[in-house]
Amino acid sequence: MLLAPACLVLLAFVVIPLVLVFRDSLDAPSIYGGVTSKLTVSNYTTIFQSTYLGVIRHSLLVAAENTILCVSVGYCVAYWIVTRPPSRQPILILLLIVPFWTDFIVRTFTWINLLSDQGVLNGLLRVTGIHRTPLQLIPSSTAVFIGLLYAFLPTAVLPIYAALRNSDLTLLEAAEDLGCGRIALHRRIVFPLASVGVLASALLIFVPTMGVYVITVLLGGGKQLLIGNLLETVYLEFRDIPLGAAISIVMVVFMLVTLAVVATASNVLRKRVQ
Amino acid sequence: MTMTTLSQTPVAQGLGQGKRAVLRRIESRIVDGAIGGVSVVAFLFLYVPIVALIIFSFDRSPLSSSWTGFTWGWYTTLFHDTFLIGALKVSLIVAVSSAVVSTVMALMSAVVLSRLAFKGKRAFMAMLFLPLLVPEIVLSVAIITMMSRLGLSLGYGSLIAGHIVLTLPYGTLLLFGAATRLDPSLEEAATDLGCNAFSAFMRVIFPLLLPAVFASLLLSFTISFTDVVMSNFASGVGTTTLPVYVYGLLKTGISPEINALGTLLVVGTLVIVGIIGMRQLVSIMAGQSGRGKAGPVELAELNAESN
Repeated sequence: MLLAPACLVLLAFVVIPLVLVFRDSLDAPSIYGGVTSKLTVSNYTTIFQSTYLGVIRHSLLVAAENTILCVSVGYCVAYWIVTRPPSRQPILILLLIVPFWTDFIVRTFTWINLLSDQGVLNGLLRVTGIHRTPLQLIPSSTAVFIGLLYAFLPTAVLPIYAALRNSDLTLLEAAEDLGCGRIALHRRIVFPLASVGVLASALLIFVPTMGVYVITVLLGGGKQLLIGNLLETVYLEFRDIPLGAAISIVMVVFMLVTLAVVATASNVLRKRVQ
Repeated sequence: MTMTTLSQTPVAQGLGQGKRAVLRRIESRIVDGAIGGVSVVAFLFLYVPIVALIIFSFDRSPLSSSWTGFTWGWYTTLFHDTFLIGALKVSLIVAVSSAVVSTVMALMSAVVLSRLAFKGKRAFMAMLFLPLLVPEIVLSVAIITMMSRLGLSLGYGSLIAGHIVLTLPYGTLLLFGAATRLDPSLEEAATDLGCNAFSAFMRVIFPLLLPAVFASLLLSFTISFTDVVMSNFASGVGTTTLPVYVYGLLKTGISPEINALGTLLVVGTLVIVGIIGMRQLVSIMAGQSGRGKAGPVELAELNAESN
């Protein structure tokens, strides 16, 4: 009984709407921005045309790059925090969370301060005489890359940190006493312990990166679009609801595939540990 | 021949081990140094933009790369922007109402989930994790689709519904973690002493969960208040939220007063973090070791299990 309100909200605003979106994706657009009921896969064939397919391919690439970068840096930071004295760890985690909780738009905007033609970085390059003409960093794909890393880094660290903290870290000392070198220590003990967290991080970064549109608009000048930009444009500007619905479903499929891969990989890892 | 016999003597073996130990120590230094270096750079990376934001908010001409003089001007500009104040009001209304509704639902669900094993538990859990896994932009599309099917126009209703969807999983997990950490004998004692289920909840469980309830309210408030994707889709005419308004400003050009706004928002975040308390926050965000678990890892794990 007590679950009823939450159930109702989730059904009414998540589950049923997703089913409706799927239904819409099989419809044709009507002239006044609505949908005409009819069963067609034409929206999906449209997506797999060259222009849209290019955006999808680019999104997958950017998402993969961002995931790898975030998870690699996240692994280092998580290991570093977990090897600090226990009393200092909460402060470091707190330092990660504060930017994470700060307004997303503001966090993206700050990079314009730093990277624009008149920004801090170009100022420094000019003053130190390294580079006299300002580097064109806003808009650029480098800026998008930095913006994405900035947005997702805390997301990457937290699950890996949690996985390491909840495991038996005396294993590390034992291995060291038994003459295990640092690289072997990471390869054979730390990374396997962290792997569930690494997978969780990847899950929380890969598909959400594709859905980002604010960063590409503000830092990338609206070039090099991601699926999120495509969806926003098609849905809010072209008002082509069926096509937007089909793009949404493609994203859900990406999410399900990623989830399946992560779930399988975690199961394999868990069995190997046991 | 002599060489091999020599290297087999205990003394030589000891020397070899010593050498290996030295190499190992060097290896440790390099690897630890690299990891420490990456971490320190990562923290700088997170904070340099925020420090720049704060400094620029007091700079007379923040568009030039050098300091041009101190001013409160951007803050006064901010307070005279009636559109911005309007958007702030919308954001506050949406954030407060969605936080309250979602925390009440989360509390109800958490109490049930932590105490009862029932048939649909897995299905409910899967449904609860859906908003965390489906990209927010797709959730937004789904909600406005629902609104148009119901013939409702976009506005406070769609914004609040959307934000409840975004915050409900976090609130539920947080309160679920807190509820599982409670000692079940407390409730038993209350019922033995003559409380019915409701009064046991009101007089024993609820007071004990109060800190977690506050944390859930503030976490939900923060998620709602800083949200841009859902709000951009679900806001109607006259219900532009603050982040959507700022996004609109930035799309057309750089507005230096955003530095001042950002500084105020950073201060706001710090206040909220301070209220929730560090320990609780860490346990929310990084998972809790032991019985009560709530965090991104557990989310992923639970979800992997429910699949």
